Amino acid sequence: MKFYVCIKMVPDVYAPFQIKEGELIMDADRMVLNAYDASAVEEALVLKENHGGEVEVVCIGSTKASETIRKALAMGADKGTHILVSGNEDFDSGSYANILSAFFKNQEYDILSLGKQSQDTDSGLTGSMLAELLDLPYATNAVGLEVEDGNLIVKRQGDTGQEMISLPTPCAVTCSNDMNEPRIPNLKGIMASKRKPIDTIDLASLGLSDVELSSNSKVVSFEHKPERKAGQKFEGEAEEIARSVAQLLDTEANVI
Amino acid sequence: MSSILTYIAISEGKIKRSSLEVLSRCKSIADANGLSCEAVIIDEKASTYTDSVQKYGASKIHIVEDSVFSQHRNAPLLSALSKVMEISKPKIVVFASTEGTKDILGALAANQKAGVVADVSSFEMTSTGVSAKRPLMAAKVVGNVEVTGDTILVSVRSGSYDLVETPVTADISTVDISINEGDLKAKLREIISATGDTIDLNEAEAIVAAGRGVKDEEAKNLISELARVLNAGIGASRALTEAGVYDPSLQIGQTGKVVSPQLYIAVGISGAIQHVAGMTNSKVIVAINKDPDAPIFEVADYGIVGDLYKILPAFIDELKKIKS
Repeated sequence: MKFYVCIKMVPDVYAPFQIKEGELIMDADRMVLNAYDASAVEEALVLKENHGGEVEVVCIGSTKASETIRKALAMGADKGTHILVSGNEDFDSGSYANILSAFFKNQEYDILSLGKQSQDTDSGLTGSMLAELLDLPYATNAVGLEVEDGNLIVKRQGDTGQEMISLPTPCAVTCSNDMNEPRIPNLKGIMASKRKPIDTIDLASLGLSDVELSSNSKVVSFEHKPERKAGQKFEGEAEEIARSVAQLLDTEANVI
Repeated sequence: MSSILTYIAISEGKIKRSSLEVLSRCKSIADANGLSCEAVIIDEKASTYTDSVQKYGASKIHIVEDSVFSQHRNAPLLSALSKVMEISKPKIVVFASTEGTKDILGALAANQKAGVVADVSSFEMTSTGVSAKRPLMAAKVVGNVEVTGDTILVSVRSGSYDLVETPVTADISTVDISINEGDLKAKLREIISATGDTIDLNEAEAIVAAGRGVKDEEAKNLISELARVLNAGIGASRALTEAGVYDPSLQIGQTGKVVSPQLYIAVGISGAIQHVAGMTNSKVIVAINKDPDAPIFEVADYGIVGDLYKILPAFIDELKKIKS
């Protein structure tokens, strides 16, 4: 099986930030491999270990994104492709899906996988967009993957339960971080990653039109989330404070 | 007349309340902008739900009824929605943000060449499209998003809008769609439903959520007892669903469900940002934790510092007295 995992470099949501006049200001160096994508890489590596095959990763990003690709290679992916962009573009989910779709039209693969969303924006749109553009059967929010008789068996978390779906290849799947704990690259992996190939391709070489690259959704400003003030804190004798809060929920908060 | 179309999600034989919240919002946008307020129901028994949908102001209801829709499957749902969109020609299509919606929203936008914005907490119609607010950076920040396009898809977090009844008599139209089970490339093998008859977290008025502090059967029993007394849904932090203590469908947070009940009681939950992202819009938050410095107390209206084994029995007992 040939796995192609789409990975993304995203801001670390733990990094401190400021909002000034509607702009979000963060440390541009605090960038990480999107956690959901890391789970997608991990799962592909496990399936490769069990069933053989290859794992390639592709990443759209600025020069700095090569670090993100190296991370995936250090985890064990075989090869990377870096679709180089300036990083100042106003891409939305649709632009990313169009770029990936143009890239994959000339690639061989059995399984395309992606994180189910980016941890900074949580939109969760690119995966199913890409599947639709490439006309692939797909499943989202996978919490488990297995390969069986050339099909990908996806366990996905639905609204009320888990759905077991069998997808013929080629297919696409988006991964939850609930499926595994991505491995931390060890020294051997890090050393090996330096010898693994990264193809860098220019965005222009994919021949996308301005319309395909343009975004029709833009974050025009940022604001702080509505502040939730810490309320009353009760410490002391357990039974007494428990009963007081129960009463307050009835008489003060009016939610019983 | 152009339309604004609401997708009515059906789950386990019931209309998702969050879909009716969305419909209530769409009705008010339709009235303010001279749009036809329309709804679409896609289900094996779609026609049985039209009465409730008329009550919330849909003056036209598109029905797609076929046994293929007895379970969630993305390919037939996409075909049905595409077909209804071609008939209704909506300016905006609005969905409650469920796992079913998340599964198809991007694909539908690509298929229809529509603008799209997911998981918003509020939205307005503008002269160029839609403006919306949505949480970003693990819900630490709110982004103001502008979306342009002739057609725009929007999904809305549950609890973002109130239900408003505006009864009308709807024009009900059936949309025929022929889907052969055999033509579907993705095969649904089985559904593992572990939640049984528990209360849907997106609909629950009250939620009791268990975290790492809930370690054994005794603590689990206390959680169940508290939920029973309050008629609350039971949720859990990622730590507990990953450990297999609670079913994965009960996970609340950035990765799991985003909830906004009237009352949220966090028991033994420290309050990691990913968890808080999923519950910070609850009306009243109660936190029970033995660590007085746990970050959960920063968002709690009522923080109880103490051992859950000592707190919960008295808390439950007092609530029972109040209830009776």
